[in-house]
Amino acid sequence: MNQLRAELLKIRSTRTTVGLLVGLIALALLFTILTCTLSPMSQLLTEQDQSSLLSFGSIAGVFAALAGVMLFTSEYRFGTIRPTSLFNPNRTHLFATKITAGVLSGLVFGVIGEGLVFSIGMMILKLRGVSIVMTGANVTELIVGAIIGTALWGAIGVGIGSIVPNQVGAVISLLAWGFVVENLVFGFLPKIGRFLPVHASDSMMGPLQSNLLPGNAGTLVVVAWVLVLAIVGVALLKRRDVS
Amino acid sequence: MSSRSESEHVSYVVQSESLSKRYGDVLAVDNLTFAIEAGTITGFLGPNGAGKSTTLRMLLGLAKPTSGHSTVFGSPYDQLATPALRIGAVLEATDFHPGRSGRDHLRSLGWAVGIPDARVDEVLSLVELQSASKRRVKGYSLGMRQRLGLASALLGNPDLLVLDEPANGLDPEGVRWLRDFLRDFASGGRTVLISSHVLAEIAQTVDQVLIINHGRLVAESTLDELTARVGGVVRVQSPQLDILAELLQREGIVTTRSNDHALFAQGTTKEHVGDVALAAGVAIHELVTEGSSLEEVFLDLTSEGASQ
Ligand SMILES: Nc1ncnc2c1ncn2[C@@H]1O[C@H](COP(=O)(O)OP(=O)(O)OP(=O)(O)O)[C@@H](O)[C@H]1O
Ligand SMILES: [Mg+2]
Repeated sequence: MNQLRAELLKIRSTRTTVGLLVGLIALALLFTILTCTLSPMSQLLTEQDQSSLLSFGSIAGVFAALAGVMLFTSEYRFGTIRPTSLFNPNRTHLFATKITAGVLSGLVFGVIGEGLVFSIGMMILKLRGVSIVMTGANVTELIVGAIIGTALWGAIGVGIGSIVPNQVGAVISLLAWGFVVENLVFGFLPKIGRFLPVHASDSMMGPLQSNLLPGNAGTLVVVAWVLVLAIVGVALLKRRDVS
Repeated sequence: MSSRSESEHVSYVVQSESLSKRYGDVLAVDNLTFAIEAGTITGFLGPNGAGKSTTLRMLLGLAKPTSGHSTVFGSPYDQLATPALRIGAVLEATDFHPGRSGRDHLRSLGWAVGIPDARVDEVLSLVELQSASKRRVKGYSLGMRQRLGLASALLGNPDLLVLDEPANGLDPEGVRWLRDFLRDFASGGRTVLISSHVLAEIAQTVDQVLIINHGRLVAESTLDELTARVGGVVRVQSPQLDILAELLQREGIVTTRSNDHALFAQGTTKEHVGDVALAAGVAIHELVTEGSSLEEVFLDLTSEGASQ
């Protein structure tokens, strides 16, 4: 608990995470306002149209993952990994602390990202007189899925940072995976691609596109990815010297 | 420091047993065995690349030895319950996030082991950083960073301080401040281990030295023993060299003649040679100390190929 408080203080005491949060807010507002105002009415009629539009808050996952990546990589980059390791000599505990902090900061990103997109999007759609066809169950799955998914991306970020301590390398790996590799795999081999983390976490928000896993299965798959990264990350942390 | 056979009787604060570390082809630390008693200030000396930092990293559980092992307070560092409360260490003077304030840096370390903010503020004033503590570290001078590092080591009110090259980049006043601080710290029975690649920098601070070269221990002695090794070679010129040589030899001083008709007296001081000459009424035309200083003894021990 002490260690978690200390880790959260680290997050709060630099501008990195706050900067990412500001970036997320700006992007969420811009996208929501533009698309909800400019989309032709004909593209706002079905449940899937509306859910897809309002699922944009899951972009928070990218920001949460970047924030998560920073938890280890900025310690390596600035050398604070040395004092941090002296004060927290048990590497498994250190990892557990950081991944918990990554999940918590991811939750904040998720709540803010999806919260903004959903509330502002709904408001604009209603002002435009769009009749909302999403059911309460759809809305719950969308919001809860986006928030939990984002929190899990915070954990994935921490895992990647523990495996690739080089900050630039870790950020590039993350973005290349999320925006390129996975889309290619899903595009050509959706039966495999849907098990990859971005598409598995998308499925947590409901059947927004075809070929996705059912929501619960998607959640389990993302959790499994987190576990795999955690196991590899802890093993590497224990093996690698802090030099 | 003493021989290993006594190690069962005396409890050592730091113990290293056949510690070795290999990086590829480089044997950075080579079978290093030493022990440090409580209440001492030990200088860990060696030229650049000798393996000082690598050894300290192994003592502190940051790097795993290739073979051998080490303990602090009788246990490997990472097996101690909360080592940060017994051992304070600084390995690099620059280990800070530039965008975080000095105070938040200390709090983020201290909170993890239950250290309250009051203690954070206490160490900040101990190292005279309280006025800058809420500024981002990026605006700190090197001296301020060194002191912030020291503050982080002091947070847990430790009984052992391990500092890697703490005097690097300090101005003379800063070096003096550090010296007084460490002397004060150790005067209460606490222990200090500091590394340096310059003996002069820490000669006035330490009680004893461990000197390593190419990862191997080349000398382990008290500073007094080391000073005694300083070969005070006194060069003296006199119209009565034969008489002077005999007088000095009677005092147990070894003398040699140079080919330019000067006399070298070993293991003594020029004051002593002058006194002996005066007492016998021997005229002195030249009297200088030549050759080795403390620093030269150190350089000699760590020169290429030198080993014990
Ligand atoms: N992480 C590492 N990977 C590879 N080689 C290393 C590593 N760390 C140290 N070395 C090598 O080990 C040797 C000892 O290095 P070390 O940093 O311990 O020396 P040092 O005595 O602290 O020197 P300095 O006075 O320059 O700080 C050097 O040859 C160095 O190049
Ligand atoms: Mg070094």
